[in-house]
Amino acid sequence: MRAETGSNSSSPRPSPLPCRPALRLAGAFMGLLALAGCATPPPKDPDALAEYKEANDRYEKLNRKAFGITMWANKYTLRPVAKAYIWAVPRPLRNSFGSLYQTMNEPVVFFNDVGAGKPRRAGDAFVRWCINMTVGLGGLIDVANYAGYKHHDNDAGLTLATWGVPSGPYLFLPALGPSSFRDGLGYGIDVGLSPWNYVPRGYGLLTFNWAYNIMGTINGMATNVDALDQVMKDSLDPYATIRSAYQQQRKAQAAAIKADHRATVPDWYSNR
Amino acid sequence: MQTSFTRRHALGLLTIVGTLSVTAPVHAVDSGAQARTFVHEFGNKLVAIVNNDISLSQKKQQIEPLLDQNVDVDAIGRYCIGRYWRVATPEQQTHYLQLFHQVLVNAITDKIGDYRGVSFTVGQSAPSGDDIAVSTVINRPGQPPANTEWVISNSTGSPKVVDVVGEGASLRLTQRQDYSSYIARNGGNVDALLHALTRQLANHH
Repeated sequence: MRAETGSNSSSPRPSPLPCRPALRLAGAFMGLLALAGCATPPPKDPDALAEYKEANDRYEKLNRKAFGITMWANKYTLRPVAKAYIWAVPRPLRNSFGSLYQTMNEPVVFFNDVGAGKPRRAGDAFVRWCINMTVGLGGLIDVANYAGYKHHDNDAGLTLATWGVPSGPYLFLPALGPSSFRDGLGYGIDVGLSPWNYVPRGYGLLTFNWAYNIMGTINGMATNVDALDQVMKDSLDPYATIRSAYQQQRKAQAAAIKADHRATVPDWYSNR
Repeated sequence: MQTSFTRRHALGLLTIVGTLSVTAPVHAVDSGAQARTFVHEFGNKLVAIVNNDISLSQKKQQIEPLLDQNVDVDAIGRYCIGRYWRVATPEQQTHYLQLFHQVLVNAITDKIGDYRGVSFTVGQSAPSGDDIAVSTVINRPGQPPANTEWVISNSTGSPKVVDVVGEGASLRLTQRQDYSSYIARNGGNVDALLHALTRQLANHH
């Protein structure tokens, strides 16, 4: 699951379920282990085989189970909470929380931009962090956006993709949402890259960390709940729809990062 | 002998490459500009209806003929059913396209909902297979701008929309995976899809 920050979740795409490191790695790796020996054999018919390859979903049976459980749990837990949150908290405040969450994830974006060898993007993430953590009151106000430093998402799954690491088979991780072998590994790396996970105990900051993750999860769900509802309602097979949209979107995101060759010198300098 | 042959080949190749490199960009610019103009005009008409101060049902009524004119619904429908198009009987094909047409119109008009104050800008165009992809940015009040690509095909003789790509995900490809997965899980039976679509239309409000 990515840091679903809500900044670019405006499209009709079905968004992955927003969840945060709070749920953690253990689950992800337990899932990976359980996969061994559960693969569906490829079909014989050439057309069916092409479809099978396009879906890239060797563990479909297990993934569908994880999907079913996650959606069932979501319906009775996170979704009602997110709905209540939307009802109780006015939109500007929700946007502020989203921006706070996004800002505090900026170090992860920065490290990944560096890893992908994209200095301009890394610079943007760094400046966003500096401006928003100070003038932006910890990110409550996205001042950097007004100053021309727009937010971009990045995560270790995408960084690995820019290095040419193939995605591996599709995975639907319980509670974490759509992923792949590469993106699941990337998720683990991102947890390691987030400075908030290094906050020492006993500083009151640990409480903050929990609050931050829970708030991020609820806020992310609130941003995407309508899109998710629509997919669940309009698709004949929501599992396949989410799988397809996720895979296409990840491919496009990685391609966009690769194609970003902007100079490191900012526009205001080079345009003088 | 060997050399002259290679030289002649090389010369021939050069000529071909030369002609291609002269003609190809000109062609690309022409069809690219045409596709951008098309998206601009179609988009303006759509936005005019969406932003109009009329009821939702009136909007739907006005949008439908516009879609018929500018969207190649049959081509999208054939794409979305994928390999099962060839398996389907002619009756199933006709029935499917009828249902698909309504499903698509509903999907579009549902999205449009009660929007007001929508605007869009047309960006670059780039070849996408045999077609041309035109990028646009759609702005809705209170929401982040949406990057949307329109794939325009000239295969019917006039430019028509054959796909919409939002944040990297192609609508027709996502739809095809939805449909083919549904058919495959129902024993490869095309009728299962037709029933499901009929049900979907019946439940639509």
